[in-house]
Amino acid sequence: MSIFHSMNTTASALTSQRLRMDVISSNMANVDTTRGRLVNGEWEPYRRKSVTMRPLEGQFSSFLNIAIGHSSKNHVGNGVKVSSINEDRETPFKLVFDPSHPDADENGYVEMPNVDPLREMVDLISATRSYEANVTVFNANKAMLTKALEIGK
Amino acid sequence: MPIQPLSLLTPVQQPIPNIMQKSTPYEAQQQFGAMLKDAISNVNDQQKVSDTMTNKLIRGEQVELHEVMIASQKASITLSATMEVRNKVIEAYQEIMRMSV
Repeated sequence: MSIFHSMNTTASALTSQRLRMDVISSNMANVDTTRGRLVNGEWEPYRRKSVTMRPLEGQFSSFLNIAIGHSSKNHVGNGVKVSSINEDRETPFKLVFDPSHPDADENGYVEMPNVDPLREMVDLISATRSYEANVTVFNANKAMLTKALEIGK
Repeated sequence: MPIQPLSLLTPVQQPIPNIMQKSTPYEAQQQFGAMLKDAISNVNDQQKVSDTMTNKLIRGEQVELHEVMIASQKASITLSATMEVRNKVIEAYQEIMRMSV
C-alpha cells in the first residue's frame, strides 16, 4: 500500500460524486422533456435517473488477496465506483392537463417526466456535501503527510 | 511406535550466513548512485503526471478537475519528501566536512 493509497480512494469518491452530480443535472434539465425516448412509435417522457455505487474492487491486488486467503473483510478498500445508472420505473409519470401541447392525448392530458425538482434539490445538496466531506478527508490526509515530513525538525 | 533418537549433535541454531557482504567502495558508490537516481526519477514521474494532467485540462480534454488537483498535490508531497532527504544528506556531508583532522 503506497502512501498515496488513501488519496486514490478519495479521488474515486470525488469522481463518483461528480458523476452523481452530472446525473442530477440531467434530471433537472429534463424536468419538462416529454420526448425522452421513442417506444413503439410513441414518445415516452424522460425518466428520472439515479446512480448506484459499489466498492471499487476488481484490481489485481484485491483478487490476489482473495486468492491467497486474505478475506476481503479485513483489508483496506480501494474506494468506490458507480456500478450503474438506473432509470426510475417505479414512480409514475405526472399527468398535466394541457390540450394545446403537441404530445397531449385525446383527453388533453400530457405525460410529464417523473422528476421531482424538490427531490433533485435534496440529492444535489447531498452530493455537494459528500464531495466537500471527501475534500476534507483529502486535506486531512495531506496535512498528515506534511506533518510526517516534519519529524525530526 | 518408532522412537526418534535424540541427537545432541543437531545444531540448535543454523549458522548465520554471511549477511554483511563486503562491497568495494566503487560498488557501494554505484549502488547509492542508482538508488538516488531511481528515487529522483520517481519524483520526476509524479511531476510529469501532474504536468500532463494540467495540460489536458487546459486543452479541454476529458479530465476531472479534482484529478488534476490531486496529481499536483501528490507531486508536491513527493517533492517535499525529496527536499527533506536532500537536506538530511547535505547536513550529514557538512557534519563530516566540519570534522577536525
